[in-house]
Amino acid sequence: MTEILDKLEFFLADRGIYMLTFVLLAIGIYGMVVCSNYMKKLMCMNILQVSIIFFFLTFGQKEGGTLPVALAEVLQAEEYINPVPHALMLTAIVVSLGVTGVGLALLMKIRDIYGTIEEDEITGKGGGK
Amino acid sequence: MMDRKAKMKTAGLVLVILLTIAGGLKVGSFLPVIGAHETPANIYLSNYYIENAIQHTHAANIVTAVLADYRGFDTLFETCVLFLSGVGTLMVLFSKAKVKRRLPKFRKTESHSETGEMISEFTQRGSYSSGILDASFRIIMPIVMIYAIYVLFHGELSLGGGFQAGALLACAYLMDRISPSFESRMGEIKEENMLIVAGLGTFLYAFTGILPMFFGGNFLEYAKLPFCALVHGGVAGLHAAGILMIEIGVTVCVMAVIMTILEVVLERTDFDDD
Repeated sequence: MTEILDKLEFFLADRGIYMLTFVLLAIGIYGMVVCSNYMKKLMCMNILQVSIIFFFLTFGQKEGGTLPVALAEVLQAEEYINPVPHALMLTAIVVSLGVTGVGLALLMKIRDIYGTIEEDEITGKGGGK
Repeated sequence: MMDRKAKMKTAGLVLVILLTIAGGLKVGSFLPVIGAHETPANIYLSNYYIENAIQHTHAANIVTAVLADYRGFDTLFETCVLFLSGVGTLMVLFSKAKVKRRLPKFRKTESHSETGEMISEFTQRGSYSSGILDASFRIIMPIVMIYAIYVLFHGELSLGGGFQAGALLACAYLMDRISPSFESRMGEIKEENMLIVAGLGTFLYAFTGILPMFFGGNFLEYAKLPFCALVHGGVAGLHAAGILMIEIGVTVCVMAVIMTILEVVLERTDFDDD
């Protein structure tokens, strides 16, 4: 029993964060497919983007590494964490902001035209009230 | 009908969680261990950046060196994408009428007097205004703005950058906007004017790129900027000046776009208790 627990502990310490990002990704995709409210769909898309940002950031981590700001006395490349995922994900965060803004504007337009943002009521399917 | 749908939703959720755990176990076995040094992501490109960023870009912050110098062209169009999202938000909602009276402004309240008759009066404050919120915003806002300027000017030296500084400045404006007090408003800011400011920020970035081309350099080649008389330190000083210029452009663009989206959406939203 303790052997299994030890193995589980090692697995969680080594690769546990991947499970969390996969759960986040699954929640995002599931919500985008299942939710019939467009606002919830938009929020689920945000969750999906956050999970992908987390997934990339985990690759930048190095054990014992310091921040990617060059110090005078530290010159080995192994001593700094990987700066590339940070630089890439900074732009991804900005794009997610823009996507959310345009999505909100489109939702307000839909609300204006149809009077609702429920998918069932707009398409007239699925037994609306 | 609804019962079957709810059952299917529950079954789908259970299936998704099971598949995720199974997939995580499977995929996790060949993804690299967290914190390992010899992973593919950590040995090819990143080592080159870390070892050569100082000589090439003279920027101590390697993330900024990658963002503003190695991938400066990419970041320019990133800023353009953000500006275009602000334009798109305004264009989609421009024809929609604005809400006349906002919650923090004049508001009609109704109450029953002791004799039982209805008293209705206009008050200046929203129903949820509170002195604590007001006072804490007044204390926090200047600190946030000073911190934003600090983050902006440290983009090249240490931790900081243009995107973060713009988000912080917009955060200070957001605090002012949602604070229910009537007096503490910075004044009405029209979203069209904010969009012009965002365009100016994007233009500053592109202008920093074009300027070296008149003096014999390439696009975004900071070493050929014509500021030799103004900055100390030769090429390193010119790189710092160029990176600071594009960081200011990015900051202004991010701040103005966030404020535009906020104004556009908030000015046209009907709340239930409005």
